[in-house]
Amino acid sequence: MALVSKSPWVIHYDGSSCNGCDIEVLAALTPGYDAERFGVVNTGNPKHADIFLVTGGVNEQNKKVVKEIYDQMLEPKVVVACGVCACTGGIFKDCYNVLGGIDQVIPVDVYAPGCAIRPESIIDAVVEGIGVLEEKARAMKAEKKKR
Amino acid sequence: MQSLINILGTLAASVLFALVAALVGGFLAGLDRKVSARMQGRVGPPLLQPFYDVIKLFSKEGVRVNGVMDAYIMVALVFTAIAGGIFFTGGNLLLCVFVLTLGELFFILAAWSARSPFSDVGAQRETLQVMAYEPMVLLMAVGFYLATGSFDVSCVLHLPAPIAGPLVGILIGFLFVLTIKLRKSPFDLSYSHHAHQDLVKGITTEMSGPTLAYVEIMHWLENVLFLGWVALFFVWASPLAILVVIVVLAAVYFLEIWIDNNFARVKWQAMLWSAWLVTLVVAGVNLAVLIYL
Amino acid sequence: MELMGFLILFPVFVAALLMVVRQEFARKILVCASAGVIAVTSVVFVALNVGTLGQYYEFESEVVNYLCFGIDCLVGVTVLCYAAKYRNIISALLAIVMLALCVVFEFFVLPGTTCARGLYFDSLSLIMILIIGIIGSGIIVYALGYMKDHYNHNPSQPDRSHSFFALMFVFLGAMYAIVFCNNLVWLLTAWEVTTLCSFLLIGFTKTQESIVNSFRQIIMNMIGGIAFQVALFYLVFNFQLLDFAQFIVYGAYAPALFVFPLTCLTLAGMTKAAQMPFHTWLLGAMVAPTPTSALLHSSTMVKAGVFLLLKCAPIYAVSFAPSLLIILIGGVTFLLTSLMAISQTNAKRVLAYSTIGNLGLICACAGVGTTEAMWAAVFLIVFHAVAKSLLFLCVGTAEHHISSRDIEDMDLLFERMPKLARLMLLGIMIMFIAPFGMLLAKWATLVSFVDTRQFILLLLLAYGSAGTFMYYAKWMGKLTGIAAEPTNVELEVHHTEWFALFGMAAIAVGCCVVMPLISNVFVEPYIISVAGLSIQPISDDNLWLCSLATVAVVGVLLFGLNRKSDKRQVGIYLSGASVDNERRVFNNSKDQPLQATGRNMYMEEYFGETRLKNIGYVCTYLLIVAAFAWAILSMLGIAPLS
Repeated sequence: MALVSKSPWVIHYDGSSCNGCDIEVLAALTPGYDAERFGVVNTGNPKHADIFLVTGGVNEQNKKVVKEIYDQMLEPKVVVACGVCACTGGIFKDCYNVLGGIDQVIPVDVYAPGCAIRPESIIDAVVEGIGVLEEKARAMKAEKKKR
Repeated sequence: MQSLINILGTLAASVLFALVAALVGGFLAGLDRKVSARMQGRVGPPLLQPFYDVIKLFSKEGVRVNGVMDAYIMVALVFTAIAGGIFFTGGNLLLCVFVLTLGELFFILAAWSARSPFSDVGAQRETLQVMAYEPMVLLMAVGFYLATGSFDVSCVLHLPAPIAGPLVGILIGFLFVLTIKLRKSPFDLSYSHHAHQDLVKGITTEMSGPTLAYVEIMHWLENVLFLGWVALFFVWASPLAILVVIVVLAAVYFLEIWIDNNFARVKWQAMLWSAWLVTLVVAGVNLAVLIYL
Repeated sequence: MELMGFLILFPVFVAALLMVVRQEFARKILVCASAGVIAVTSVVFVALNVGTLGQYYEFESEVVNYLCFGIDCLVGVTVLCYAAKYRNIISALLAIVMLALCVVFEFFVLPGTTCARGLYFDSLSLIMILIIGIIGSGIIVYALGYMKDHYNHNPSQPDRSHSFFALMFVFLGAMYAIVFCNNLVWLLTAWEVTTLCSFLLIGFTKTQESIVNSFRQIIMNMIGGIAFQVALFYLVFNFQLLDFAQFIVYGAYAPALFVFPLTCLTLAGMTKAAQMPFHTWLLGAMVAPTPTSALLHSSTMVKAGVFLLLKCAPIYAVSFAPSLLIILIGGVTFLLTSLMAISQTNAKRVLAYSTIGNLGLICACAGVGTTEAMWAAVFLIVFHAVAKSLLFLCVGTAEHHISSRDIEDMDLLFERMPKLARLMLLGIMIMFIAPFGMLLAKWATLVSFVDTRQFILLLLLAYGSAGTFMYYAKWMGKLTGIAAEPTNVELEVHHTEWFALFGMAAIAVGCCVVMPLISNVFVEPYIISVAGLSIQPISDDNLWLCSLATVAVVGVLLFGLNRKSDKRQVGIYLSGASVDNERRVFNNSKDQPLQATGRNMYMEEYFGETRLKNIGYVCTYLLIVAAFAWAILSMLGIAPLS
C-alpha cells in the first residue's frame, strides 16, 4: 500500500536561481493547473513535505539551508532538481561563488533540465519523483519488517 | 454500580464514535476540498484524498522535536473522542463542551512545547480563538437548557418541535463562531489548509508524520461533533427530523465552504471583537427573550 | 467542644511560645510539631462529626466577653499606633471610629443582651476546618524553608522570623474562631484579629511599598469591620439578637426587617473577600513574602469573607436589594478581573486576579442563595483553596530559584525545574479546566444561574470564563516549552518545601477525584441543614466520569511526559536558517545570528488595568450607593420592603 504516490506534498526552495525556474514551478502549482487533482499540496514546511523541489544552484550562503531543509524532511523523501542550474550549476557553474548543482550538498533523485524548465518537464519530473518515492517507501517498509 | 456501567457505556461509545466519525469526517474533508476546487473552477482531488493523506502520514518515518508532544496529542485525541462519546450517547451538553476544551488545551500545549517561533504564534492565536468562541458556546448550552429544560442531549428526541425556532438568535451566533471552530477563512488564524496564510503551518508546524496524522483525525472528529451540535437545533420527536437534519447540515457545511472561499483572513482583533459582539447581541437578545418573555 | 476550644487556643499558645523560642532549630521543630498537631486535631474533629447537620453549644462566658472587648480595643490601639508611626491619617480616623463604636457598644448597647449558644459547628464549618487545618498548617511548614531563603536573598533585613510564624499561627486561631463562633460579638472579634494579622503580615518586610500596601489593606478592611459593627448595633438595638444562626433563620423568614444589617454585612464580607472596588488591597498584599499570599488567598482572610456571605445565602435567596448588590458586584468582579489578568505578566498578580474573580463567583453564588448555588459556592471554596495554595507555593519556590516571578521568565521551566513545573501545570489545570474540580464547581455555578434565570450573571460568566482560559492557557504554554537542556536549578529546594508542595498537590488531586464523596459527606449535609433539602446540580455519573478523567490527565502529566523515545530527533523549523537550533538562533537577512524571542500576548491596549478598573469602580460604587440608599429607605419604611 504505497499511498505516498497519491499524496505527494511538495516544498519548493529557491537556491541561487535567476527566478526563471521559480516562476515556472510556482506557476505549475497555482490553482490554474490544479495539481491538487493528483493530491499535490504545496506545504511550505519541510516536516510535512515528501518532495523537495529545488531551483537554482548552491552557493556558500544557501548550502546550509538546503541541507537543513533536507534533514528536516521525513523519510521517505525525494529531491527533484528543477532546471539546469539546480542540476549542474548551469551558466553560473564557473562563478567564483557557486559550488555547482545541489547534488553537491544533498542526494538528488530526479534531474530535470531546462533553462528555464518547461512545465512539461516539471510534471514529468514530479511523476518520476513519485515513482522513486514509492520505491523508497517500499524499501523502508521492508526494512521495518526485517527489524 | 450504575454509575460505573454508564461511564463504561460512554467510553465504549467514544471508541465507536472515534471509528465512525473518523470515516465520516475524512469523507467530509474530502467533500470540502472537492467543493472548494469546484468553486475555484478546478477539478480538485479525489473524494478520498484526505484518507490517502492520512495513510501516507502514518507510513512516514516518526521524528520528534521533543519527547512530550506525542503524549499531548494523544491526550487531545482521546478527549476529543470522549467528548463525541458523551454527545452521541445523549450525555450532558456542558460536559461535552468542557471535555472538548480540554482536548483543545492539550493540542495547544503540544504546539507550545515545541518552542518553535511558528508554532508559538500558532498556539497564541489558537488560544485567542478559543477565547473568541468560548462565550458563544457556553451561551449555546444555556439556551439549549432554557429551551428544553435539560442539559442532556438525549432530551431533543422527545421535543414536540425543533428548538431552532426559539433559539434562532443563538443558532445564528453559533454558526458565526462555527467558522472559527472549523478554522475556516476569515478566521483561520492559527492554522490553515490553504496557501494564503501568513504563518507557515501555524500550530501544526512541528507536528509531522504519524503525529500530524493524529491531528488530522482529531480535526475530523471535531468537525463531526460540531455538525452534531448544529443538528441539535433541528431534531425533534419525529422521523421527519432525519431528513431535515441532513438537509440543514448539508446547507450549513456548504455555507462554511462558501465563506471559506470568499473571505480573506482577518486580524485577530477583528475576529475577537466581532465574535464577542455577535455573541452579545444575538445570543444576548435571544436569551433575554427566553428569560424575560 | 473541648476540641473546638483547643483548635482556637492552641495556635495562639504556639504563637506565644514562638515569640519566646528564637533559636532556629528549636523553632523548626516547634512549628512542624504544632502544625502537625493542628492538622491531626482538625482531621480527628472532622472524622468524629462527619455528616453532622449542625451542633450548637450552650456556652456563655463573661470572661470571653471581656476578653473580646479587650482584643477589639487592642486591635484598634495597635492600628492607631501604626497609623501614628507612619502618619496615616485615614487609618487613624477609622481606628478611632472603630474604638469609639466598640466602647459605645460594650457599655451602652450590649448590656442586657445575651447569646446562649456561643459556639457551634455544622458541615460547612467542618470543610473550613479541614481547609484551615491542613492547608493552613501546610503553608506554615512550607514557610520554614521559604523564610530561610528569603533572608538569604535579602540580607539587609533583620531576621524577624519568630514574629512571622507567630502571626501565622494567630491567624489560624482567629480563623477557627470565625468558623466556630455563633455569638456575633465574638465573631466580630475574630474578624478584626484576622484583619490585624494580615495587616502586620503584609507590612512585614517594612519596605516603603509594603507599608503603603498594608495601610491600603487596613483602611479597606476597617471600613468592612465598621460596617460589621453597625450591623451589630442594629441587630442588638432592634432585636436584641446576637445569635448568628438565629439571625439567618429570622432573616430568611422576614427579610424586610433585615435589609439594613444584611447590606452592612454584605459590605463587610465584600471588603474581606476583596471584591471590587476593594480589590486593590489583595493585589497590594502580593508584596508580602509568598507564604503570606498563599495563606491570605487559600485558607484564611478572603475565605472568611465568603464564609460570612455564604452563611447568609438563605437570606439573600429571599431578599431583593442586598442580593442584587452581591450578585452584581460578584459578577462584575469576576468578568473584569478575568479580563485584567490577561494583561498581567507578574505571576502572583495573575493569581491574585484569579482569586478575586473566583471569590466574585462565590459571592454571586451566595447572593443567588439557592441550594444549587450553595453547592457550587462550597466547592468553589474548597477547590480554590487547594489549587491556589499549591500555585502560590509553586510560584514562591520558582521565584527563589529563577529570581523572578514574571511569567515571561518562566520560559523553559519544564526543563529547568521539572518537578515544580509539572506541579505548577497541575495547579493551573485544577483552576480552570475540566475535568478538574474548579471547573466542575463553575459548571454547577452555571446551572444554578440558569435555574434562577440570572440573565446578566450568565453573560458575565460566559465572557469571564473565556478570559480565564486565555490567561491560564498562555501561562501553561510558557511553562511547557522544551528546548536545549538548561541547567536544572531545583536541586537545592528545601525538603520542607517539597513536602508541602507534593502534599498540596496530592490533596488537590485527591479532592478532585473524590468530589462526589465530598458532596455526599460534607456539602449536602450542610445544605440540608440550611435549606431542608439538597439538589446536586451535577449528576453523580458525570462527576465520576470527571474523576476518572482527572486520574488519566494527572497520570499523563506526572508520569507520561518522560522524554524517552527511539524516534529521530530533528530541530525545530527555522526556515532552514538555523545557527543554534536549540536556542532558536537563526541567520537573519543581514547574515547575522539572531535569536527568535517570543512573548505571550498581553493585549494591554484592550485589557489593561487602568481601562477596565475604572469601569469596575463606576459600576461597583454605584451599586453600593444604590444598595445603601435602598437599605436606609427600607429601614425608614419608605422603600418597598421585599
